[in-house]
Amino acid sequence: MRELFQSPYFGVALSVVAFWIGVKLQRRFQTPICNPLIIAIVLIVGVLEIFHISYEDYNVGGEIINMFLAPATACLAVAIYTKMDILKRNWLPIFVGCVVGSATSMLSVYAMCLLFGLDESLTVSLIPKSVTTPIAVSISQGNGGAVPITVVAVIFTGILGSILSPFLIRLFRVKDPVAAGLAIGACSHAVGTSKAIEIGEVEGAMSGLAIGICGIVTVLISMFVL
Amino acid sequence: MRIIKQIGIFFTVCWLSQVVAAVLPLDFPSSVIGMIFLFVCLITGALRIEHVQEKADFLMENMAFFFVPAGVSVMNYFDVLKSSIVPFLVVCIVSTVITFAATAYSVTFVMKLMNRRKSNA
Repeated sequence: MRELFQSPYFGVALSVVAFWIGVKLQRRFQTPICNPLIIAIVLIVGVLEIFHISYEDYNVGGEIINMFLAPATACLAVAIYTKMDILKRNWLPIFVGCVVGSATSMLSVYAMCLLFGLDESLTVSLIPKSVTTPIAVSISQGNGGAVPITVVAVIFTGILGSILSPFLIRLFRVKDPVAAGLAIGACSHAVGTSKAIEIGEVEGAMSGLAIGICGIVTVLISMFVL
Repeated sequence: MRIIKQIGIFFTVCWLSQVVAAVLPLDFPSSVIGMIFLFVCLITGALRIEHVQEKADFLMENMAFFFVPAGVSVMNYFDVLKSSIVPFLVVCIVSTVITFAATAYSVTFVMKLMNRRKSNA
């Protein structure tokens, strides 16, 4: 029986079905809390626990899906390329905003981890939490962090950003759409960007740009500091 | 065949970036090298946007799906998360708000400086 669950088809099929249910639920309820990724993770963990299937067995198929993570990161280049004209027009504020945003995120996480006395592995896992998942994962992995913790922190941060950003725009009186978009992208990557697109076209484009640029800046900072 | 070609381009870019990452003396994530590599190819015209558009759209639209297995492995870390759930939540919430404010204010500040210089000139 066990070898049936060790088939790569099992892991891939279970992942697709769980994610599909997540997408359906999100379309139905239209709220960022119904994140398809979170729903898929909860469903799969539930199925594995109930039927006593080990993570290793599931991950035979999981490995195949993991193979697409690097191409998914690379295609952020296409997203930046298609927004080249906005980038050229506002390159200085974009550059400064992304550097300040990335540095603030990493520094504030690090300071709070020290304050709470969290161990080094957990700290490293949390430091890249504001950048998009594939980049955050490679930073965490390269520096001895726990990748799953990073994934959960990144998704949670993204959901927070998409829920809080309309409120934060008012709280901090951000009037410029360029500033608002970059701020959303810098603190909550792709999940926040989906909200930024709803707020406005400029906000959405800026937020999308911030994903890629903050990702590179965060990698550079972590190379010299971690 | 067009889709196969695009998949081929993406996988070639990813493999070449792994080669570069292995050669580089620094610890630079190969996925980010792939992104920079692809960007340079587009800028220099070595690749045209039509060569990669469909596959890129496919990957971007379904980005979250590719993280499902990575996320599921959190079940191996339940103990770690449970024992530090409060700091975990506080760190995520506070740093998100601080990062938002710092980015928004720095962008507004730079734009004000640029406008002032423009009106002085």
